[in-house]
Amino acid sequence: MKVFIIGAGQVGSTVVDALHGEHELTVLDTELSRLSAIAYRYDVATFEGDGTSRRDLAQAGVGTADLVIACTSRNEVNLVAGMFARREAPKAKTIIRTSEIEYVDLWREGQLDVDFVVCPELETAHAISRIIGVPAARQTDVFAEGQVQIVEFDVEEGASAELAGVPLRHAQFPRDSKVMAIIRKNEMTLPGGDDVIEPGSRVVVIGSPRAAKEWSALLVPGDAAVQDVVIFGAGRVGSAIARVLLDQRIGVRMIEASRERALAAAETFSKVRVYNATGLEADFLERERIGLAQAAIFAMRDDARNLYAASLARVHGVPFTIAVAHDAVSLAAFDQAGIDVAVNPRAVTAEEIVRFAHDPRTQQVAMLEGNRYEVLDVTTRDSSRYIGAKFRDMPVHGAMIGAIVRNGSAIFPHGDDVLEIGDRVIVFTEASNAPWVIEAL
Amino acid sequence: MSSAPAPTRPDAHPSIAPPRRIGVNIRGALGLVGTLVKWLALAPLLPLALALGYGESPWPFVAAAAGTAALGIALERIGGDRSEVVGFREGFLVVSLTWVLAAAVGTIPYLLSGNPELERPIDAFFESMSGFTTTGSSILTDVEALNRSMAMWRQFTQWIGGMGIIVLALAVLPRLRIGGRQLMESELPGPEIDDLGTRIRQTAQRLWSLYVALTVMLVVILATLGWTGVDDQLSLYEAVAHAFSTMPTGGFSTQPHSIADFAPATQWVLIAFMILAGVNFALLYRTFVRRRVRSALRDEELRLYAGLLVLGSGLLILQLLERELTGSDAAFRNGIFQAVSILTTTGFATVDFTGWTTLALMTIVALMFVGGSAGSTGGSIKVVRHLLLGRVLRRDLRTTVHPELVAPIRLNRIAVDERTLRAAVAFVLLYVGAFVVGAGIIAFDTALQGPDLRPITVMAVAATTLGNVGPAFGHAGPLASFSEFSDISTGAMIALMWLGRLEIIPVVLLFTRQYWKP
Repeated sequence: MKVFIIGAGQVGSTVVDALHGEHELTVLDTELSRLSAIAYRYDVATFEGDGTSRRDLAQAGVGTADLVIACTSRNEVNLVAGMFARREAPKAKTIIRTSEIEYVDLWREGQLDVDFVVCPELETAHAISRIIGVPAARQTDVFAEGQVQIVEFDVEEGASAELAGVPLRHAQFPRDSKVMAIIRKNEMTLPGGDDVIEPGSRVVVIGSPRAAKEWSALLVPGDAAVQDVVIFGAGRVGSAIARVLLDQRIGVRMIEASRERALAAAETFSKVRVYNATGLEADFLERERIGLAQAAIFAMRDDARNLYAASLARVHGVPFTIAVAHDAVSLAAFDQAGIDVAVNPRAVTAEEIVRFAHDPRTQQVAMLEGNRYEVLDVTTRDSSRYIGAKFRDMPVHGAMIGAIVRNGSAIFPHGDDVLEIGDRVIVFTEASNAPWVIEAL
Repeated sequence: MSSAPAPTRPDAHPSIAPPRRIGVNIRGALGLVGTLVKWLALAPLLPLALALGYGESPWPFVAAAAGTAALGIALERIGGDRSEVVGFREGFLVVSLTWVLAAAVGTIPYLLSGNPELERPIDAFFESMSGFTTTGSSILTDVEALNRSMAMWRQFTQWIGGMGIIVLALAVLPRLRIGGRQLMESELPGPEIDDLGTRIRQTAQRLWSLYVALTVMLVVILATLGWTGVDDQLSLYEAVAHAFSTMPTGGFSTQPHSIADFAPATQWVLIAFMILAGVNFALLYRTFVRRRVRSALRDEELRLYAGLLVLGSGLLILQLLERELTGSDAAFRNGIFQAVSILTTTGFATVDFTGWTTLALMTIVALMFVGGSAGSTGGSIKVVRHLLLGRVLRRDLRTTVHPELVAPIRLNRIAVDERTLRAAVAFVLLYVGAFVVGAGIIAFDTALQGPDLRPITVMAVAATTLGNVGPAFGHAGPLASFSEFSDISTGAMIALMWLGRLEIIPVVLLFTRQYWKP
C-alpha cells in the first residue's frame, strides 16, 4: 500500500516507524532537517514542500497514494491538506490530525470529507479514562465505538470466590461478558467450561464497559470505582480528559495555574471545581485535601512539572497517579519515579493512525502482552465458511470470538447464536495466527 | 520612513484653550432631550380626542401639546449641531432629564383641569411622576372629581412610561442620532438587554409591538366581560383605562375603590395580566411569537418569579383564612390579587389591607422589594438580581473555605460576566441605601409636620414609591391618598419614584463630580 504522510514531526515519525516495514511511504514536510532525520533512519521517500500547496502535493505524488495521513501540528494545514488530497486522489483514504475536539464532532456528523479524524488530546483522554474506569486493569482497549471493552486483569489473592477457584461453568460472571483467555506463566489457554481462574494467573475479558467495571470490582475487592479525580492542568489535554471523565459520571477537580485558563475551564464545565493554583504548593494541596482524591492526572504542558507535581501528590497521599509524558524519553523517568501510568499522546495518536493502515476489513487491532496476542475487529465476508454456523460448533484454532457487532449494537454470543453475513467479529488470537483468522472469516 | 518635522514659525505660539471644567456635552444632551420631548406632544392628542367626543374641555390638552412641542423645539435649538456628538457619557443625563421633563410637561393638563387637589404644581408633579414611572400612588382623595378625558390622561401616562419613553422613541422615530443601546440599557429595567433582533431598533420595535398586542388583548377581554354582563362596571372606557394601567404595572384606577368594585372574574383576568406584565418581555416574545415554550419554562428567573408569587400569595391567604378577614373564597382571590399586585409593582387593590395583621403587612413590604422580572414593565429590584445576589453570596461562602476556587456564576447555564455581577450587587446596595435615606426623610418630616405614621407605614411609603408600586398603608393606603403629606415628603417621594424607575444609577451618577469632570 502506498502511504502519503504530511508532517514529519513527532506524530509523523512515530507513524513512519510503525509503517515503514510493510508499506511504501512518502513523507512531505516544510523542514528539510526533519525530513533528512527520517530519511537517514528509514527507507522512505521524502519531499520538501508545503502541505497547503496543491501543486506541492501533486508533485510529491499524492495522486497515487492509497492512504493519506495529514499529521502536522497545525489544524489548518491538516484540514487543507486533507481537502486537496481528496481532490488529487479521490480513492485514497484520508486521515487528519486535529487538536480541536470540535472537528472530531464535525467529522462524526459527516460534515468533514475525510475518512478519519484523530485528535491526540482526545485519544490521550480516552486512554486515561480507560485506565481510570477499570483500576484493576493492566491494559484496556475499546472496540465498536466504545460498546465493547477488552481488559487484561491480574488475578490476585482475595479475588471474589464467585469467580476465582471454581470451574468457569459454575462461576458467576457479570452479564454481557466473556473470558477470552487465561494466561498462566506465559502459557495461554482458550478456556472451556472446566477451566478455572486461579490467583496468580492473568485473564483477558471481553464485555460491555459496565461489565468490565464489575469484573474489576470482583477481582480487586475494596477497590471501589473511581469517583474523585484531580486533574492538574486545564489546557487542551486536561480539558479533554475532564470532558471524557465527566461523561462517565466521574467527579473531577481541576488545578490550573493560569487565571484565564482556569476561568475558561470553570465556565465550560459546570460540575467541575476548578482551582487557580500551581498545584506545587504543599499548603494548597493540604488545605484542599488533594491527598484524599482516589486518583490524580497530570496534564500540564511541561513533563518536568508533571513529574514533580506527581511526586508531590504521592507524598500527600494520592494512591494512583497518571501522568502525560509529551516526550517519549520522559516515560522511563516517570516509571522510575513511581508514577503508576504514563501516557504519551503522540504514541497513542500514532497507534490510532496505524490501525487504519491494516486490511480494510480489519477495523481495529489491539496488542496484548507486548505483541504476542492480538484482538482483531473483522467484518465477515459473504463467502466465509462460518456463516450460518453456531458458535458451539466452531472449531477452536487458537482463536476465540468474543463479541459480534450486528446492526450497530454489540452482542456477546452464546453457543446457540449464529454468525451472519456482514457481522463485525471481535476475535482474540495469537499474533502468529492473525492472518489465518482474517482469511477464514 | 521618516517624516520631516512640521515647519514652525518662532512667532506663532500654539493657542492654548482655557481649562475646561466640564467634560459633558450639556448642550448636545439638551438637544437630544428636546427631540425626545418634542414627540411627546403627540401624547395629549388621545385625551384631546376623547374630550371632544365627550364634550369636555379640550383646552388642557391643547395647551399640553403646544407646551410640550414648544419646550422640545426650544431644547433642540439649544442643542443645535452639538447634538451630533452626544456619546456614552451624555446618555445618563439624557435619560434622567427626559423623564423629569416628561413628568413636568405631563402636569400641564392637571394644572389646567381646575381640580382643587391638583392646583399646586408639586401635587400635580407628584401625580404626573407617579403616572409616568408607573407607580400609581395618587394625591387625589376623590378620583371621580376628574372628568373622563382627564382620568384617561392619567391612565395613559402610565402606559407611555411602562415600556419606556426612550424605547418607544427608538422604535418609532426615524433615526435617533445616537447608538441607542446605552440609552435603552439605562431605561429598560434589569442588568442587561436581551436582544430580539440584530439592531437595537428592531428589539425596541418588537418589545413595543408585544406590549401593544397584550394591551389590546386585555381591552378585548375586559370589554367582553362588560358586554356579556359578567361585570356591569366594565364599559369600553373602563376596559381601556384599566388595560392602560395593568400592562405597565401602573396601578391608577378610575374607580374610587381601585379594583374592589369589579366582579371576581374581572379580578382574575387582571391577576393573569399583571403576572404577564411582570415577566421579561423578551422571554414572552420568544414564547409566544417564536414558540419556544420549553426553553422559556426552564428560565431560572421565571421559575423564581413563579415561586415568589406562590410564596407571597400563600402567606397572605393563610393570614386571611386564619383571621377570617374575608370569606374563604374571597380569601384566596384577595390573597393572590394583593400578592401579585404588590410583587409585580402594579399596586391595584381589591381590599383595604391597612387593617391586616403585622405578618401580612410585613409580607407586603417584603414583596415591594421583589419587583417583576428584568425586561418587564415592573419596577423595584427585579427577580433576577435577587437570584444573582443569592448566588454571589453562596459563592463567597464557598471561596471562604476554598480560596483558590474559580467559580463563575451561571444564569440559565451561561456564565455571567463579573462586571454584571458587581453592577447587580452595587444596584441592590444603592437601592437599599436610597430606601433608607428616603424613609429617613419621610420619618423626620412626618414626625414634625404630620401625618402621624406607624413605623411600618413609613417603610411602606418609601418602599412603595422607590419600587414604583403604589399603595402603602394607613393614610397612604390603597383606598386613601398621599394628599396629607407635607411638600418635603412629597418631594422626597417624587425623587424616589424617579430614582426607582431609572434604576438609580443614571440619576445618582449626575450627583457625582466624576461624572462632570473632563
